Formats: sequence, structure tokens, C-alpha cells
Amino acid sequence: MYTRKNQRDLTRTEKKRFVSALLALKRSGRYDEFVTLHGQYYVTDDEEGPRASHMTPSFFPWHRRFVLEFERALRAVDPGVSVPYWDWTKDNSPASSLWAEDFLGGTGRAGDGKVMTGAFAHANGNWNIRARVGDGSFLTRNLGRPSDPVSLPTRQEVAKALSDPLYDAAPWNSTVAKGFRNTMEGWGRGGAVTTFHHNRVHRWVGGVMLGATSPNDPVFWLHHAFMDLLWDRWRRAHPRSGYLPRRKLPGSDPQHGRVFSLHEPMPPWNVTPAQLLDHSRVYRYA
Amino acid sequence: MGMIAGTAGALAPILGKRAGAAPGAADGPAAGTAKAPGAEPERYAERFAETYRGRHIQGTARGTRPARAAARRAGAGDAMTVAAVRDVEVRIDGRPLHVMRRADGSYLSLVNHYESFPTLLDAARAAVDELGDAQLSLSPLHRL
Repeated sequence: MYTRKNQRDLTRTEKKRFVSALLALKRSGRYDEFVTLHGQYYVTDDEEGPRASHMTPSFFPWHRRFVLEFERALRAVDPGVSVPYWDWTKDNSPASSLWAEDFLGGTGRAGDGKVMTGAFAHANGNWNIRARVGDGSFLTRNLGRPSDPVSLPTRQEVAKALSDPLYDAAPWNSTVAKGFRNTMEGWGRGGAVTTFHHNRVHRWVGGVMLGATSPNDPVFWLHHAFMDLLWDRWRRAHPRSGYLPRRKLPGSDPQHGRVFSLHEPMPPWNVTPAQLLDHSRVYRYA
Repeated sequence: MGMIAGTAGALAPILGKRAGAAPGAADGPAAGTAKAPGAEPERYAERFAETYRGRHIQGTARGTRPARAAARRAGAGDAMTVAAVRDVEVRIDGRPLHVMRRADGSYLSLVNHYESFPTLLDAARAAVDELGDAQLSLSPLHRL
């Protein structure tokens, strides 16, 4: 049993150890395997095949397992390390200590968005990006997107999402108009340019955090640890609710074979959402 | 692939009734039984080529949507399945940009997976906005 702390509460030593473990995973090639995996599993709800990670009820359990696997890899490097979480409702500015030189480094410069400060700045030679969208191999960010500002979700917006006792609903994709899962994942509807919550945080950070290979930015893990904590809060707030769909969808359902019900094993780990509901024997949040 | 100079134009929707009206229109859906007006699959196409913020962007999308999809897109979020687009291509300065569609018919691109856009042109322009000075990678993430 270990603890995931709010990133703002980390000591200088804890930050240093976390960053060192990240750099060690990167050097070994293990880090990029996680980046590639995330890209491979990002399929949209317009596609016919199984959809485990996004635009789907298993968005929460899939990412819980994904962050947990990553954390295991980190702890194999340094058993004293865990993934901190970033509460973006509180630490909602580029001036937050999260973005300081001694932790994740700051925003990118104008033009190419290149991050110039901190351990992940390209000039240091220890953070080359391989699975990428643009032709540059450097980490990019555009915190808050000043040219066309994006704001981080507020505490009120999160509270509203948490107040919904329904976990998810048909059609179990990005077009669901109700339920905690899709509200929190943050898809607007009808091709609207509006996004919320989880998606909006990716947009606020910008750069590589916008792509399918978003784990290229280490803040990905801190963002998803907070999403994971919010799922816990939702479950505590609604003890009589639970993960949906509970049962495998019938063959007549358009989403049959595409989404994962409570007891259907998810790739690539072959683990069911039900097996991921309770993490209290593995980690806790402080 | 024929290039269209000048301003972009979405050529959508082209209704199934007018099959062949668009050059190179996508293969029609399997013949279904038309019941009522609006019960036929709807064809759509989009094609553009333009210079946007100094970058050349071009794209085509062709496919079919099930009957009443358009109405449902604006509707109450009931189940809908959109036929996969068989033919979507976007290029920025000649380099291919991987594009995916959501169930509501909107598009997202490899550059921006956390936001979607009503048209392919919007998705292409948004990708340019995000790329800044960068060119698309010639060896992007390969999907299995």
C-alpha cells in the first residue's frame, strides 16, 4: 500500500525522485512503450471494433489500469516513487509550481511550442520524442493557449459532474447526453467545438498533450491520476450506483462487441472493469 | 486526385437519390427498402483545397450516413451508428494527416484527439493552428 499525493504537496526531494524515475524509464525505452500503447488504443466510436479506452464506459477503468502499470514501472526504478495527481481546479495557472524548473518545466516558446525549461527540455538531451505527430522530436506545450484562451475546468463544473448518480448510458459512446462518464471525459455533442473536463485539460496544456501520443508529456500521468481520484469521489458520493453497463450488451445492440461491460476483460491486460473498482489495497490518495 | 483551386466548398449532403451526381461518389449502400421520405441513407462528400495561414491544406471525405442521421445529430442523443467513411484524406503541405470520425459525424485528427470539428475543413484548419511552425511527421505513430 502506498500513497498518491497532490503534486503541490511534494517535497523538493520527492519531485527530484519522481523526475529521475521518469528519466530512467525514458532511457530504458519502457516509457515510449506506454506512449505507443495509448496511441494504439485510441479508437473513436465511429469505428466498428472494440473500444476500451476512450469514448466508452471503460474510459475510467482502462486509464486506472494504464496509470497503475506505468506506476509499477516507475516503482521498479525507485520503490519510493508514486504518481502524484494534479488538481487542475486549484492549480489552474502556468504560474503553478507544477510548471517550475524543478518539476515539469514550463510552457513552450512561440512558433514551435518547444519547452525550454526543466528536465524535459530538449536541450538536456534526455527527452526525445519518438512516437509523434509533428516532425520535431522535442516536447511541446502551449499552456492556456494565450492566442485563443482555453480555461481549466472549475470546482463547480466538477461538482456538477460528480452530482450525477448515473455512471453512463446508451449509446455508450461520445454522444451520450447524460451520465458521469461522458460528462467527465468531456465530449461536446453534434460536432460542437466545445469540450469539457478531461478533454479540456488536454487542450489547456496543448502541444503533445493534444495528440493520441499525449503521454509524451509527463503531465499526462498527473492529469489521469486526478481523473482516477474523481472516479473514486463519484463512487463514494453514489454508493448505490455503479459501473454500467452491468451486463454484456445483446447482439441486437449496435454497441455489442464494441464496449466493455462490468465483467468483460479489457485489452491489453485482460482485466475486467469489476476487478479495477477497488484499489484500496494497492494505493490511496492523500 | 483532382485539385480544386480557390476557396473550399463542402459538397454535402449529396442525397442517395442523386447517385452519380458527384464525380467519384462513394459506392452506394446495399439496396434497402425505402419506407418513408428520409428513410434512405444519405450520401455526403466534402472536398477542399486552400491556403490557410500560409499552409496548403487539401482534403476529401466521402461516405454514407444512415437515414435521418442528420436529424439525430441535432437530436436527443439516441443510439446512432454512422457508416464508416471509406474515403477520407487530409494533407497539410502534402503530408498526410490521419483523421478519425466520431459517431456524431464530426472529425478529429491525430494532431488534436481531444476536440472534434463539424467538418473536415475545420479539423484541417485546427491542425494547422496547432502545428505552428512544425510539419507533420512523415513517420507518425503506426496503428496496429
